[in-house]
Amino acid sequence: MRHGLRPNFQHRLIPLAGLVAAVAFFLTTGLLAQQPKPNEYQVKATYLYNFGRFVKWPGTVPVSKGDSFPVCVLGRDPFGPILDSTLAGETLDDKPVALRRISKPQEAGECRILFISSTEEKRLKEILVALDESGVLTVSDMPGFTRRGGMIQFVLEGDKVRFEINLASAESARLVLSSELLKVAASVKRNSGSGD
Amino acid sequence: MPLRQRNSISRKLTWMNMLVSGAALLLACAAFIAHDTLAFRASMVRNLSTQAQIIGSNSVSALLFNDPQSAENTLSALKAAHNILSARIYSADGKLFASYSRDPGGYLPTIPSLPPGELEIHRFQNKEVVLVRSVVFGGKPTGIVSIRSDLQELDSNLKRYVGIAGIVLSVSLVAALLISSIFRRAVAEPIIRLAEVARAVSREKNYSVRAPRAGGNGELVVLIDAFNEMLGQIQQNEKALREARDDLEERVAERTAELEQANKEVEAFSFSILRAKDELERASKFKDQFLSTMSHELRTPLNAVMGFSELLTEERYGTLNERQQRYVKHINTGGKHLLTLINDILDLSKIEAGRLQLTFENVSVSTSFAEVVDTMRPLAEKKSQALLQHAPPDLSVRADSTRFKQVLMNLIGNAIKFTPERGEIRLSAHSLGGSVRLEVRDTGPGIPIEEQQHIFEAFYRLGETSKKIEGTGLGLAITRRLVELHGGNLGLESQLGSGSCFYFILPGAEAVKPRNVQESGGEIRDHEFARILVIEDDRAAAQLLQSHLTSAGYDVVLCDQPGRALEMAAELQPSAVTMDIVMGPVNGWDLLSSFKTDPRTTGIPVVLVTIIDQPSTGASLGADEYIVKPVNKATLLAAVQRCMNQRKTIGQPRPILVVEDDAPTREFISELLSKHGYLPATAADGAEARASVAASVPELVILDLILPKVSGFQLLAEWRTHTRTADLPIFVLTSKDLTLEEQDYIRTHAALLLQKQRPWQETLVAQLRRALPGVLSEKS
Repeated sequence: MRHGLRPNFQHRLIPLAGLVAAVAFFLTTGLLAQQPKPNEYQVKATYLYNFGRFVKWPGTVPVSKGDSFPVCVLGRDPFGPILDSTLAGETLDDKPVALRRISKPQEAGECRILFISSTEEKRLKEILVALDESGVLTVSDMPGFTRRGGMIQFVLEGDKVRFEINLASAESARLVLSSELLKVAASVKRNSGSGD
Repeated sequence: MPLRQRNSISRKLTWMNMLVSGAALLLACAAFIAHDTLAFRASMVRNLSTQAQIIGSNSVSALLFNDPQSAENTLSALKAAHNILSARIYSADGKLFASYSRDPGGYLPTIPSLPPGELEIHRFQNKEVVLVRSVVFGGKPTGIVSIRSDLQELDSNLKRYVGIAGIVLSVSLVAALLISSIFRRAVAEPIIRLAEVARAVSREKNYSVRAPRAGGNGELVVLIDAFNEMLGQIQQNEKALREARDDLEERVAERTAELEQANKEVEAFSFSILRAKDELERASKFKDQFLSTMSHELRTPLNAVMGFSELLTEERYGTLNERQQRYVKHINTGGKHLLTLINDILDLSKIEAGRLQLTFENVSVSTSFAEVVDTMRPLAEKKSQALLQHAPPDLSVRADSTRFKQVLMNLIGNAIKFTPERGEIRLSAHSLGGSVRLEVRDTGPGIPIEEQQHIFEAFYRLGETSKKIEGTGLGLAITRRLVELHGGNLGLESQLGSGSCFYFILPGAEAVKPRNVQESGGEIRDHEFARILVIEDDRAAAQLLQSHLTSAGYDVVLCDQPGRALEMAAELQPSAVTMDIVMGPVNGWDLLSSFKTDPRTTGIPVVLVTIIDQPSTGASLGADEYIVKPVNKATLLAAVQRCMNQRKTIGQPRPILVVEDDAPTREFISELLSKHGYLPATAADGAEARASVAASVPELVILDLILPKVSGFQLLAEWRTHTRTADLPIFVLTSKDLTLEEQDYIRTHAALLLQKQRPWQETLVAQLRRALPGVLSEKS
């Protein structure tokens, strides 16, 4: 009992110190908020990774060689090194994320998440057909992407990066998107082509 | 039956019950409430934690995809929970992401931050609880949820608990009250009844009542039974006591009556004893009076007989023929014997009556020996006996000086009597530790052993056949009693043919300085008494002269160097000088002539004391008196007195008043005074004496105590109180046996006390000389 006195006293001090730390924390974060906003692609790179956390891939999806989780960028890469740094060391579906930059749609079959650059707008149909039912989550920021059969499309609402989901496309590829993801989406298309 | 007292034990029991059960219930309720409150708090925290988890997991996507609106939607679901005050969601970097408040605009306390590594913390503060929980998604901290909840539910829970506890407590206490009333009947009631009985017993002293027995056989029953048994015993004891007391009272009454009877008898007896005592005292007083009268009445005529017969032998009034001389001497001797006998008888009866009072003091043995030997020597010399004495100078005894000397004189007188001529009597003393042994040893015929045991009996006379030895037969009896009164024992050692030794032992005393004997050329003292210079080169002769003169009251200076005698005399201017003729180296005749031719000494009377019988030569050379050795004390003193008288001074002579009722004694004293050159006057009773002194104050008064009309005591007192006669010298001369008090009185108020029981004439003359050195009658 005696020996307990001093630890008790310290326990009482810790919350106080925590309180002070919290005030300091909020003050500094408030200041940090005035810092230049992260650039658009930095946010998009983070989202790209986060999408992977709310999606369930079908078990039959052929596993690419190695035990990695391939995230691919098809076409001209708008992220640059930001995407590399964002994904570096991350895991998805218990596998280390591997970033690949590809140029041929044939290569996309081995990807789990495929960001299609707007440079590929012209051959989008060809790409999407090739990927049909191959269990690849397609993401792009080209306008009308979901309308044309893409799964997730980045949209900008003012400064804010948001996204639209074409749930029918995802379901046809046997991907299960978490309701949490759907909840925060700017819009969700339930039937293919019906949105148009 | 005092209800309050009666209820005290049952009330105590009830209180005890209530207190015990109340305390137990209170403790139990407090424990339950504490436990429930803690448990409730824990469940509250658990609930909050669950809610925070739900909110957190429902807000993960909103956080990840920066959709605060979605998060707020999630939070708004908390509206259903009334206890939630507010909730907030923070992004992983700590920014406020979404918030909810039940009471918009209400107080929003600071939310504690999560310590690193902690998933969730909570804190009770200000009547609310705050819980902060980290939102983790996919193993990564994604944000933080905080929820505040009020404690109203806890409070209302607590209130409910307290209410329930109160109800339980009241119900329990009522139940306890009921149960205790049952106990009271079982326990308190018998005790109360027991107490009532005990009170009744102590109040009414009624030991016959008994406490009612309670049912069962527990300790209470044992107690009541023991109490009842005790009461029974007390009852028995009390009864026995009462009986004993009654008996005792009876006996006390009996004894009291007996005692009263005895008292009466004792009173009567003591009354008779008192009467007998009175009679005895009266008889004793008569006896004393008789003795006193006897001593006075017998001695007075004897004094006359002896005094006048002595005067006759001195042939001052005509010569006596040889036959007359012999007859007068017989009268004198017979008188002396009679006086001795009377003194002895009176002494003995006084001793036997226990009326002899001794005054103990430290007495120097050698001084007493000297005095006794001086007195007894003439007797011994008559039988040519040697009277020797030896005593260490510093030896003293505790004794009455007079009686001590009387003892010695009696023994010596006895020895002289029984020792044949030319015998030797030796008086000696030696120390025996703290005591002193005194002996009188003679060379007499000794005492046969068969007579030794009778010798101390009164009127027993040794050797009845030897008729020539005179005596009263009382001497040894008195001596023995006197020694016994001194705490000693008179003993005798004797064998026929080898003398006798009487001895006794007295307690020793601190040494008393023996009377100072002035040696030649000794210091010259300022002395009011007549001083005599004794010029004598023979030491023994000088001492004899000295003792004779000293005993008569003279101040003696010895001179054993005739060569210095003239100078000493010139210096000392003595009243008289005694001078030997046969001295070396100076011839006495020459010394005498130089005395008479030296103007400094020519006026000093000279008494020649010598072996040479040539009075005419002495007279021709100017000697005033001439005495042929051996020296007779009386002759010496008379001669010296005549010398003194020659040195008379001129003045109006005043008489010496002799107050004496007995005519012969009066005449004898007058004659004695005239003989020694004094002018006598007489008074036959007290009144006459008073008148005489009132008319003219005499030089001195010689006063008898027993006088007709006015007693000597009264005269003494009167004269002492008058200033005119305050300094008048008074000599008391009496044959009355005086008590110590009377003696003290006389010694303080009179100049001298003489008692006729003993030879007094010489002392009277000597004291007169001392008191009146310059008073002389015209005719001498």
